[in-house]
Amino acid sequence: MKLTKTLAQKTLGLLVLAIIISVPAAAQEMPKLTDAEVAHVAVVANKIDIGYAEIAKEMSTNEDVLNFAETMINDHNAIIAQAAALAKKLGVTPMDNPVSQQLLTNAETTKETLRSKSAEAFDQAYIDNEVAYHKAVINAVEGLLIPETENAELKQLLQNVLPALRTHLEHAQMVQKQLQSK
Amino acid sequence: MKKLSYLFFLTILLTNCAHTPEVHTVEIAQMKFNPPVLYVNKGDTVVFINNGFVDHDVTESENHKWASPVLSAGESWSMVATESSDYYCSIHVVMKGKIVVK
Repeated sequence: MKLTKTLAQKTLGLLVLAIIISVPAAAQEMPKLTDAEVAHVAVVANKIDIGYAEIAKEMSTNEDVLNFAETMINDHNAIIAQAAALAKKLGVTPMDNPVSQQLLTNAETTKETLRSKSAEAFDQAYIDNEVAYHKAVINAVEGLLIPETENAELKQLLQNVLPALRTHLEHAQMVQKQLQSK
Repeated sequence: MKKLSYLFFLTILLTNCAHTPEVHTVEIAQMKFNPPVLYVNKGDTVVFINNGFVDHDVTESENHKWASPVLSAGESWSMVATESSDYYCSIHVVMKGKIVVK
């Protein structure tokens, strides 16, 4: 339980950490991202959650957890497809940047931690991480990506994604409660 | 003969006064069923249309008495409402709606 909590807390700080790390020490403002970088961060954040869901499909036997993981894979792939279609339409190539690099580095650590769990501890660790991750991503989309985006269509896409992220969070919290009551 | 014509006219009139089934639409967008509560008459058709960008379905909540197939973006599915039902999306289990047969 202690380990699970640590993982969730760590994940909650993922994006915040990524933002802080990429900000020059003297600056007290959010990192400046171009639209191509915003698009890359959005795609990476979705791919990371697909990666977590794929681990859940390997390690869990709980029906609620497996259904949630399947939904994450399908929905985040749909979001990536929307982002890719828009990038193509706008002629923008998503560009690697310190925020997305830091996200990927942190995700690898989280994946290792998830994979190290016993079968009994995995479900709780995975779903706690999903709750924390979706909270962090919602905060980052609202507080960083939308404000940083200049293109109106990309901004609209990010706004359209928020209801899906909030629904995922609510769904994860529901499964979390079910696991805790067992 | 006059009486028969009168009866025929009365039958037609009563038939026309009875409820004509209507078609109602529930839009699935922004991860919500809209309207979340739909009031219909028995025999009305309810069309669910997925205007979002992820897959959804529509499943009766209590005993899964009825369910749509998976609806991809742009797809729709219809049913005839015979009784009041709570329903949800079995893919996104927190998405819920209700049909009330008046």
